[in-house]
Formats: sequence, structure tokens, C-alpha cells
Amino acid sequence: MFESLKSSLKRFKKEIKSTFEDSPPEPDVLPVSDTKEETSSETISFKDKASSLAQGKAIFDQKGLSSPLHDLELSLLSSDVEIGVVDVIIDAVRNDLVGTTRKITTGIDSVVEETLKKALLSVLDESTFDFKSFLSSNSPPVVIIFIGVNGVGKTTTLAKFAHFLDSMGYSTVLANGDTYRAGANEQLNVHSEALGKKLITHQQGGDPTAVLYDAVEYAKAHGIDVVLCDTAGRLHTNKDLMSQLEKINRVVSPDLTIFVDEAIAGQDAINRARDFNEMAPINGVILTKTDADTSGGAAISIAHAIKKPILFLGSGQEYEDLEPFNSITFVDNLLN
Amino acid sequence: MVLGDLGNSLRESLDKLRGKSRISQEELSEVIKDIQRALLGADVDVELVMSLSNSIRERASDQEPPPGASASDHVLKIVYEELVNLIGDSSDIPLNSQKILLVGLQGSGKTTTAAKLARWFSTKGLSSSIIQTDTFRPGAYDQTKQMAEKAEVLFYGDSSSKDPFEILQSGMEATQHTDIQIIDTAGRHALEDDLITELQKIDSIVKPDRSLLILDAALGQGAKDQAKLFHKAIGIDGVIITKFDGTAKGGGALTAIHETNTSIAFIGAGETVQDLDRFEPNGFISRLLGMGDLRQLTERLERAMQEFADEDDDWDPMSLLKGPFTLLDMRRQMRAMNKMGPLDQILDLMPSLGKGSLNKIPADAVDSTKDKLVTYDIIMNSMTPSELKNPRTIGASRIERISRGSGTSEDEVRELLSQHRNMEKGIKQMQGLGQGDLKRLMKRMQKGGGMDNLDLFK
Repeated sequence: MFESLKSSLKRFKKEIKSTFEDSPPEPDVLPVSDTKEETSSETISFKDKASSLAQGKAIFDQKGLSSPLHDLELSLLSSDVEIGVVDVIIDAVRNDLVGTTRKITTGIDSVVEETLKKALLSVLDESTFDFKSFLSSNSPPVVIIFIGVNGVGKTTTLAKFAHFLDSMGYSTVLANGDTYRAGANEQLNVHSEALGKKLITHQQGGDPTAVLYDAVEYAKAHGIDVVLCDTAGRLHTNKDLMSQLEKINRVVSPDLTIFVDEAIAGQDAINRARDFNEMAPINGVILTKTDADTSGGAAISIAHAIKKPILFLGSGQEYEDLEPFNSITFVDNLLN
Repeated sequence: MVLGDLGNSLRESLDKLRGKSRISQEELSEVIKDIQRALLGADVDVELVMSLSNSIRERASDQEPPPGASASDHVLKIVYEELVNLIGDSSDIPLNSQKILLVGLQGSGKTTTAAKLARWFSTKGLSSSIIQTDTFRPGAYDQTKQMAEKAEVLFYGDSSSKDPFEILQSGMEATQHTDIQIIDTAGRHALEDDLITELQKIDSIVKPDRSLLILDAALGQGAKDQAKLFHKAIGIDGVIITKFDGTAKGGGALTAIHETNTSIAFIGAGETVQDLDRFEPNGFISRLLGMGDLRQLTERLERAMQEFADEDDDWDPMSLLKGPFTLLDMRRQMRAMNKMGPLDQILDLMPSLGKGSLNKIPADAVDSTKDKLVTYDIIMNSMTPSELKNPRTIGASRIERISRGSGTSEDEVRELLSQHRNMEKGIKQMQGLGQGDLKRLMKRMQKGGGMDNLDLFK
């Protein structure tokens, strides 16, 4: 998983190493600027270089960085990181490295690694979400809704999530707020039977908020801890369905709104996340289809766009295939 | 609006060259960089973007612009030709009996596309059927059944069977009498060996005339490997892009057709069964370049007019150019427009008359226009036939009656009447024009701005 991102970063480290390790900066060549922004760190004086050389340090200059950074930019793009987010990362790396001195003894690797780590964490949300304390601090029934574009895997994810709550000892009732798509009731019904869960549905074409209301009433009457609400998939450009989502959010006021998207999504992932977040503020993200050899950039783009944690990765067709996500281990993993 | 950043950024980078007759190497590099970013931002594969931009760079620096052409026209022409080169022609879909196999990733929209495709063929006069072989995804059977009903085509499936091959075999027999047999399959990604083996077996049973890969417009760089592996497994004959009514640019489809050496057959944009359009390369590129898609618009218009004519035989659209323009004519026009599909989708297809003017139409305006059409229709329902034919007879007291009868305000009724007067004025002007005048009018429109590049592509 996320091999493409991993190899992008590895390649960058290697390139930096080969550029700077074998050829310490020559004092008589001034760095040539090739970027739009002029930063003060660009003009590294002869004196600085001389002194750093004397102290056993080397300096990363613009000129030497320009080609590795360009390659990093392209490889991040080919890992599906959104182009604007790529810019943020590249700028962060450049600003951090240019003019940085390093001790020969610490090695270039660790300096670059530290920089990349900082840059990646700056675009990701570092906070983690503790379900246990979240569930115990809210009075039951806790209402959780799943939202997202068509075909990203909301329903399957909801079923996996019910299974996850089972393992934590919380009881759940499922509610089908997708009164729109053909076959939605049947799909969720198969899951509810397999998981042994009560499913609340209305007829196709009904009002999703009414279904959710009924589900909450059911949970109250039966002492059930969590209501898991599915919603119809909708494209963020579909104005009517998006205002329906806004209404669901307003009327139901869920305790937790989970945005489901697929890890195979490309540059557009960021637009969807933003638009959904506007209509129904998102608390966390679940990324699906990570088993389809995803490059993983969508994870970074989405987290950056809405500044919300990624909770889980969906990685297969079984109920168990829901892996908790942690941005710090994610970044560590990418860099190792 | 679907017309997105790709068109905008390409236009912006080419705008930098406007009014220049020569282009320096630095300027060219700058433009190439913008084009690269635009294409990468549209999910086109990185290697493909590089090879594309290299050919653009080579040609732009080697070839002199033809005398009289500006540097920006010259580069635009090269960009356009290179894209045409890459995209090729749309897939050939003959209108005769055939078996079509649909494959793709989970959630790419295969089932919806199956129904749309079946309906597309049936509107061309070919009887169609859908066979659902997805025994894995819960609800696939019911979804297909309901979609097939909406599309008014034959459906075959077996919700009690877990064996796709068994379903397939009896399904092929049960639907044999239909001209078009569309076989829907379970979603899979190309790395699941057992599912790919299953697909190969389905392929060997069906022996399809055409295997189409369904691709979500939002798919990222993964499009390359998926296309490659599906192609290796069963041989792909064409691509259908889905969810094109979102903001995604569908660059993954370009990668996919490049990998499979095929072309794009259809574009799906919308939730209803008629939201499937034949892929039209020139239009697609014009749209990428932000110049609207003239041909697709005409097709929709013709289709809507045709459906409309079926219901309303006596009406000839050309009659508008004769006789008086009544409220009835106005209503027919409005209804025909509604038939073409959501207004925002239609606006998207229209060429922008001024540079980028289309993008500047606020989304709200589109919606309010849609609402207005509904209100107008309601108001007209409260008018008498003679009022509809002679709107000039409608005075203050009639306005009051109509507003009360239709539950609208008097202002709204007045607005409708003034809208009619404006349209009437426009129609009268057109009636007064001879052939030569029409040509002059077109010419003047072309000189106006954004359309000035269109003659390059004739």
C-alpha cells in the first residue's frame, strides 16, 4: 500500500545525497535562483559557506536542490497528491532545506528525512480520534452518518464499522438514509442479516431524515448504543442532493459525520472533500479501496483540504478489512 | 460548473501569448510548464504528459507560424493537434446485433452504465437486454432490475444463484432474441488474481463483440495499471467515462486509452438513464480547451426536438421563423429545453461567446432560470387558449385573474409577458434576415472574442 509515495520520497533522498554529498558547494559559484519567490536564504554569502565548510558543515543551495525538487514534484503528482498540496509540500521542503547547514557526521539522510517528515505532517492532520472515549462521553444513542460520492463504498464501510463497534462491545442499529438509489435497501439488508443487526428502512423515494429519526427512536426504545446511518451517494456538483445533505445534517445533527472516499481518487478528491465539508461538517475520513494498489496521494490531499483526521483505511471485501489510520505512523512508514 | 480548471489554466497560459507573432524559448517553456500542470491536474499520467509536452515543445520551436497567424494560435493549434493525436477517434459502435461486456473497478458505475447503454441502443431501434452476473455485491440484482425497468429494456438475473457462470449461460439463452446483449460484471480491481481469472472465464463464455472498460472520471494515476491489466486479461475495446457531471477532468481515461490502444466510446454524466452521450473527440478537446462543445449540444438539441416532435406532431420548429410568435411557441421552446437535460449541463456544452464568459455565470443564475421555467409553465396553465395565442389581449384584470389562478404573484405574470415580448422581438429580427444577413451576423459573432479560434479546427 502507498508504494508509489514511498518510492517518491526514497528517490528524493537519494538524489539529494548524490547531489550534495560528493560535491560540497563551491565557494565561487553563487546559487542561481530559479523560483518566483526570492527568499533571503537564497543568497548565501561566500563567508557563510567558508565558515560552514570550516566547521565541517555543508549548505543546501537552490541550484543543487532545483532538480531533485522538480523530480519530487512530479513523483508526488504521479502519486495522486493534489497539485496545490504538492506546491505546499515542495515549498515547505525548499524553505526548510535551502541554506540549512548540516554536520557531516549526522549525514544528509537524516536531515532530509526530518525535513520531509515536517513537510508531510504540516499538510496532514496529526490529531487522532479515540473512539472509546468519544463513545463513552456521548449519551446513547450516538448518531453517526456516512457521506460521500457515488460508488466510493459507503455502505460496505458502514457494515465494516458496525463490525468494528461490535468488537468494542457497542450495540448498533443500521439506518438506510439512501432512499434514492435502486437496490440500496437490499444491499444494506444483506449486511444487516450477515451482521445480525436491526435495519431501519423506508420505501425508495422517501425522506432520509424520517428514516434516521425512526432509527434513533428505535435505538432509544431498545437501549442501543450507536445508530449508523447510510446516505445516498451524491456528486458534489449535484445541487439538489447536496442541499438534501445539508438538511439531513441540520435535522439529524449527528454526533459524528464520516466522509468516505476512495484512495484511488485523483486530483478531484480535494474538491469533493471541501464541498461535502461545507454542507455537512466532517469529523473524520475513511479511505476505501486501498487494496487496489493505490498511490495514496488522496489521503494527503483530503486530510490537507479539510484538516480532519483519517480514521480508517478500507482494504478489502471482508468485514475485518478496516485498518485504523495514524498520520504519524503513516509518515514514518512512508519514509522508511 | 463542469468546465473546470484545466480549460482555464490552458487558456490562461495561452493568453500570455496573445497578440505576439513570435514566441521566445522562455515564453514557450513557460507555456509548456502550464500545460503540463494543467494536464497533471486533470489526472493524466505523468509519463504521458511528459511525452505530450515534448512533442508540443519540439513542434512549436521547429515550425514557424504560418503567415498571418499569431504565436498563440499556432501553439494552440499544435496543442490541439497533439491532443487529437493522443485521443484519436471515438470508438466505433456499429448499430447491429452484438454482445457487450462491461468491466471495471468497484463503484465505477458499471450497472448504471449498463442501463444507460441498453437504453441508448433501444433509442436507436435495437432491442436490448442486460444480464447481471454480479453475485457478490449485495443489492446488485435489485439495482439492475430497477434500472432496467427505468430504461425499458429486458433484464436477466438470478438472485438465488451464487454462480456467475450459470447465470451467464442461462441469461445468454434467455436474452438471445434481443439485438444487444449487455453483460454486467462484479466490480473488481485488476490485482485480484482470482477475480481476474473469473473475468477471463466470463469472457470465454460470452465471447463478446466488445469489452468496454468503465472508468470513473475521478480516477487518479491508478488508471494506467488498471487499464493495462484489464487489457491483458480480456482485451479492452473501448472506454466509457462515468460521473463526468462532477468536477473531475477524466484524464485517467486518456491514460487508459493510451495503454489499451483504444478510444473513448461514451461519456456518462447524470443520474437518469438517458444521461449517456456518444464520445466526440473534437468536442471533448474543445471542452478541455474551454471553448464549449458545439457538436454534443446539437446532438442533444436534435434528440430533444425529436422526442418532442413524437409527442407533438403538428409542430415544426421552423414555423418559429414564420407567423406570429405566441406564448404557445414560447412554452414549446421552454419544454424542449427542459428535455435536453439540466440547464447547467447544457450551458456547459455551449461555446462561450466571450472569453471565459461561461464560467462567470453564477451557479445560482442557472438554478433560478430552471425555477423560472417551472413557474412560467404554471402561469401559462392558468391562461385561456385565446390568451396563449394572443398575449397582447392580457390586461390588468386578466393578470390579476391569472396570478390568482396559478398561485403566483402579478409581478411574475408580468415578467412572463415581458419575457415573451423580448423573445418575440428577437424572433422578428431573425425573420427579417435574409441568408446573407445571417452569415454576416455569424461573422460578427466570431469576431467578438472567444470563438475566433474555431476556424482553426475546420
